[in-house]
Amino acid sequence: MIGILTALTFRQLLGRGRTILIGLLALLPVGLAIVYRLGSHDTDPVGWVAQTLLDGLVVSTLLPLTALVFGTAALGAEIEDGTAVYLLAKPVPRSRIILAKLLAAWVVTITTVLTSGLVAGATGLSGERSGGLLPGFGVALALGALVYCALFVMLSVVTSRSLIAGLAYVFIWEGVINGLFAGTRLLSVRHYTLGVADAFIDLPANVFEAKLDAVTALVMMVVVAGGSTWYAVRRLERFEIGETS
Amino acid sequence: MTAAASTAPLLDATIVLTDVSRWYGNVVAVNGMSCSVSPGITGLLGPNGAGKSTLLHMLSGFLEPSAGEVTVLGASTWRDPELYRKVGLVPERESVYDSLTGYEFVLLNARLQGITDPVEATRRSIREVDLEDAAQRSTGGYSKGMKQRIKIAAALVHDPEILLLDEPFNGADPRQRLHMTELFRRLAAEGRTLVFSSHILEEVERLAERVLVIVGGRLAAAGDFREIRRLMTDRPHTFIVRTSDDRRLASALVAHESVLGVELIDGRLTVRTSELSAFARAVPSIARSSEVSIFELRATDESLEDVFSYLVNG
Repeated sequence: MIGILTALTFRQLLGRGRTILIGLLALLPVGLAIVYRLGSHDTDPVGWVAQTLLDGLVVSTLLPLTALVFGTAALGAEIEDGTAVYLLAKPVPRSRIILAKLLAAWVVTITTVLTSGLVAGATGLSGERSGGLLPGFGVALALGALVYCALFVMLSVVTSRSLIAGLAYVFIWEGVINGLFAGTRLLSVRHYTLGVADAFIDLPANVFEAKLDAVTALVMMVVVAGGSTWYAVRRLERFEIGETS
Repeated sequence: MTAAASTAPLLDATIVLTDVSRWYGNVVAVNGMSCSVSPGITGLLGPNGAGKSTLLHMLSGFLEPSAGEVTVLGASTWRDPELYRKVGLVPERESVYDSLTGYEFVLLNARLQGITDPVEATRRSIREVDLEDAAQRSTGGYSKGMKQRIKIAAALVHDPEILLLDEPFNGADPRQRLHMTELFRRLAAEGRTLVFSSHILEEVERLAERVLVIVGGRLAAAGDFREIRRLMTDRPHTFIVRTSDDRRLASALVAHESVLGVELIDGRLTVRTSELSAFARAVPSIARSSEVSIFELRATDESLEDVFSYLVNG
């Protein structure tokens, strides 16, 4: 059952407009890395790839935006256009619907973000020793994508304005408030991702250092992804479709 | 309430509503409704905004009643996905998965139902709605009527005992309506329960054996369609008559037993009658014997809202 729902969701998520938008976004880090390599630069390539490319662009922007677009559309698009009724009017446990949607959104997101991040990283490093930078970020991006997708799938069941709510979370909460108040980083998927990456990376603190330790980051990832999925299932079980005509 | 709504559960009832209400904030969409539905075709009739869709959504388990209980085949409908093994639903909204072909859409529904031979069930269901020629085309290119039919095919694919249809004739052309009417009659003859909503009296008249008339969220009338139709026909009607001599015809009409009253206002003769059919039979002979020519005879209150208003308020 999950396979049928996941296959349907892949087909819907990979519509032309959405694919072009995310494809262009994914090309941005690669393009930037090529420009960096071609240009004359006096910065350390490892530090530039870790801080500017992977942390500053891939983890902070590409990952949350890709997860937001696919996570909110995986079920939210069907709720919005009314086709969700064909899923909900079936003897299918709501947990399977949520898991299938989450799986589809996650696979599409990690495929996009990992491909872009690793190709861009490898281009930027161009053979430099990087202390496990790329494998570390690879694992972290995969886990971060899962947490973001769980969060955004849940948002799409809770509110019809999930895209706006998600953008506010990414750009206001993670982009601004986390920088002003250190305590709020405990509720930041971006910092969980960087915390997990740091566990695999052997680089000096002035080159790359996460602000959350790996254990806290992993525990919070499990809590947020698990909690979001549980709440999404609960809300879908009570989901109402109604008109007053 | 003019037509007594029979609220006692039918012996063979498959759907039972017990004092069901549904409100959205301060807006009451369905108000204290009790009725039951047995196998056969039941029409939900009412003007737009009457609460038909809200009721259908509660029957299909998509809305929780604010008060009361809705049961289908003996089980409460709210939060019970297993219900859909026996219930098929045709929603009013036109949207289907535009990226899928008609065949893929019905097959998807068959697979999600978990039936043993989804491919054969899909073929049978598409055949039922006479859409085999367009089955391999994307539903995004379907006309409104074709979308209605593919939605019906999807709802029928698991051979449900209960079929709930929200405005199923929307967008269908006369040939498609006829085909759908025959299909629904055949399904009902097989012992299934079909409930469909409509705001068009003639649609309900053509198809439903039993009717639930809903006005302002309340059950205005329930029962045999012919009985309710008679109540609708025999209610007081008002006509404007233009003749060669209004005063002479007015004095002749007022003596007839079917006429409740006549008025001459601004040179227009207005006649109020209690029995439409008797009045219709009497008018020509009264005019002939009074030697008055009738140029125009026009009903003033024939909108469906007037009919519903009469059923509720008397």
